Amino acid sequence: MVRLITHNLLACHAKGCTTNNFPLQLKDVTIELREAEFNPDFVSGFLSRLEWTALVNAAKELGDTSLPPELPDMVDDDLLKNLHHVLLEIHIDEGSMICPNCGHSYPISNGIPNMLLAEHEIG
Amino acid sequence: MVSQYLFVFAQAHDEFRIPELLSAAELHKISITFPEEDLSKLDVSRPFMVLGLENEDDARTLAKRCILIKSVHEFYARGTTYEEVHQQTRDNLALWSRHIPDTSFKFKVEAYNHSIPQRRQKEIVESFGFMALLGKIEMKNPDIIFSCFEEYPDKRGTTRDKLEGDGKFLEAFFGRLIVEGTARKLVKTFDVKKRSYYGNTSMEAEISLLMANQTLAAPGKLVYDPFIGTGSMAYTTAYFGAYVYGSDIDGRQMRGKEKKPGIVRAAAQYGVSQRIMDLCTFDVTRNPWRCGELFDAIVTDPPYGVRAGAKRLGRKNETHRPSEEYICKRLSGALQLNEYYTR
Repeated sequence: MVRLITHNLLACHAKGCTTNNFPLQLKDVTIELREAEFNPDFVSGFLSRLEWTALVNAAKELGDTSLPPELPDMVDDDLLKNLHHVLLEIHIDEGSMICPNCGHSYPISNGIPNMLLAEHEIG
Repeated sequence: MVSQYLFVFAQAHDEFRIPELLSAAELHKISITFPEEDLSKLDVSRPFMVLGLENEDDARTLAKRCILIKSVHEFYARGTTYEEVHQQTRDNLALWSRHIPDTSFKFKVEAYNHSIPQRRQKEIVESFGFMALLGKIEMKNPDIIFSCFEEYPDKRGTTRDKLEGDGKFLEAFFGRLIVEGTARKLVKTFDVKKRSYYGNTSMEAEISLLMANQTLAAPGKLVYDPFIGTGSMAYTTAYFGAYVYGSDIDGRQMRGKEKKPGIVRAAAQYGVSQRIMDLCTFDVTRNPWRCGELFDAIVTDPPYGVRAGAKRLGRKNETHRPSEEYICKRLSGALQLNEYYTR
């Protein structure tokens, strides 16, 4: 169930991993598309909280190229619809997320990512 | 223009009455005039409150959203005797004169902490004869309902005859029913016993609804529960339209026994599974959220007590920390354990 909006909010938090720890790389993922109710206010309201480049790249990796590489100044309905699809309708059910910096792997099972750290990784 | 409205509250969680009202008012941009400037001086233990609102629609909006509102009435009169009530009703003729010529009506007489015998109910209704209403009396589907309430002192724990103290009320209120609280029945809808997935620490429906109301949950908002457990807070918050994120240190609570996570299953029961944004397993004291303003509100039932005490990653006492070498040896075992948790 991990949606790309969630992927856009999670960073590696292992001990000492403070730079280049976002976005997490997706690995061996199985995705499923599930329709969601379109709420333009939510999508446009959330724009300012998104890391745009990370989102575009993650979407590309999963085969969705509907988003422009740069966030345009004018946001039209088409873009909002595409963004809605990318943010809320693409679900990652299985796979893992890998930290680009320390290589820590966060497994996703039944759509729930396990972001727990082992004892030597906290501090 | 501000008019007076009589609010009748449900007999539960009195200390939540005002906060819930304020939240709903803030969410819907409704201005409420309270009898006291300083809200802490308000007596919330009484179920009747006369508040000022701009119009009737505001009353309807509040009654639709607030769990603790039983009904809202256009306020005509209050008093410690019926003479006072009648006099005030006469003085407020302008409020009800339009109902004199041709509006079908009925009277409802109720009491708080007491039941009024039928004979006296009739007397009370007849005592309002001076209003000289010409419309038809209609017991089923009247155009308007006049309501009269008597408030009695709390008599719990005393022995008494059935009708002892009848008529010795503290105060009586009179008004016209505008709307019955429609949110109140959500308490039944969200009854934990009828939920397809719950745990031993699932929060009771009424409190979860009250808390959801205080997050100002509305469509388009993103709310986070860092101790989601079995998701009691998530369902009610999502019901009001918000998207909900959930995380918990123990993934088993969120998943349950089946493949599809338990929280998603129960959310589907309420038709809100789409609004469960995502669930994550992590310790919120060591959370992986990236920096930035992410959520509109946080609602949670934090861990306490024995049944679900606080859990954290790591050790309480750092001096007992094992050596790195020992940890490495144990790590393969830990990974297996990890798989158990993420099953």
